[in-house]
Amino acid sequence: MPDRYLLIPIRSNKQGVQVNVGKEGAEYQTLVTTLTMHAQDMQQAGLVAGQRVRLRTRFGEAVFICQEGNVPRGLLLVPYGPPTCRLMGGDTDGTGMPTSKGWEVELEKIEETVSSHPPESPGG
Amino acid sequence: MVLVDIRETPSAKAADIFLQIRPGKDFEVLTILRALIKGQAVEAEAVRPTGLTLEQLQDLAQRLKKARFGVLFFGMGLSMTRGKHMNSAAALTLAAELNAFTKFVAMPMRGHGNVTGADVVLRYTTAYPFGVSLSRGYPRFNPGEFSTVDLLVRGDTDATLVVGADPGATMPQPAIEHLRRTPTIVLDPKVTHTSRLAKVHITTAATGISAPGTVYRMDEIPLPLRPILHSPYPTDEHVIRSIRQTIQNRGGGFLPTPDHLQIA
Repeated sequence: MPDRYLLIPIRSNKQGVQVNVGKEGAEYQTLVTTLTMHAQDMQQAGLVAGQRVRLRTRFGEAVFICQEGNVPRGLLLVPYGPPTCRLMGGDTDGTGMPTSKGWEVELEKIEETVSSHPPESPGG
Repeated sequence: MVLVDIRETPSAKAADIFLQIRPGKDFEVLTILRALIKGQAVEAEAVRPTGLTLEQLQDLAQRLKKARFGVLFFGMGLSMTRGKHMNSAAALTLAAELNAFTKFVAMPMRGHGNVTGADVVLRYTTAYPFGVSLSRGYPRFNPGEFSTVDLLVRGDTDATLVVGADPGATMPQPAIEHLRRTPTIVLDPKVTHTSRLAKVHITTAATGISAPGTVYRMDEIPLPLRPILHSPYPTDEHVIRSIRQTIQNRGGGFLPTPDHLQIA
């Protein structure tokens, strides 16, 4: 049974650097697919660091790799990028700005563990 | 420095006070602060859903009023979440109303890249910061109608020129799919996600490194940049002027002249 969370796509300093270095590299790909969540939320969902999860909104789905971090319970943080684009709806409510943060998402554990990579501390 | 956020960001270490509010409660916090600085009664129960206490917001309201010169920085946590322009309007109104007590300004925190520069240049050339249409030969402003995401998602455009941006890695998937379906031309020093779905990618010199340009600080101070490296690639300006010249030579449709936009 998937769990529901609030996803906040964020910007981080490392991500800002990679935008200028180029987005073809492994470091950028790792940054934009790394999901940070509260340790207790991970435990409750039966997740361990390095585990792959599928996030789903009513607009699409994308796969991320979990890590623990200083995040309030119920929130998921990930630097914005192509994977978060797939979860975003196109309606701007007449403002020109699509809702880019605070999406309700379903989290589904993918039964496969990959080797973990160095954690990225969530930025601004 | 008082930091208000839904989570403890790295900035919290530099803050004197950190107030952690619940997601989606920005508008409520700003509106309660507006009431408190005017001395209006606020019930503790009305504050509870924000994740803060009435005492915390009363203390903050007093600090805002007592500041000799205050600045309210607000970021995309306000403008990109539910409420969007209403959240931003509440923050700007709070700063404006604080001027009844002291000097207070508000300043938006910008994202990566020269976002401020794009806003400033569009403002002094068309009077509007974004969402500008020149299709009638004069600038018209209407967010939701002429803004990029809306144009792409509705499928209004039949071709797109992308200069120094990567909508393929930032915009909603329906907008990205429209870029993929229609002719998209990218000008960028790097191959981007948008390049991968574009019909044409033209590599240009990096502005501020191997091409002259102007970057705007977040407080809208322009910083002219001289190139320090040579690039084998043309500048964005050179490519765009060449495209424009080619269209004119072929007797293309309406093109705004410098008289229309007062651009040299």
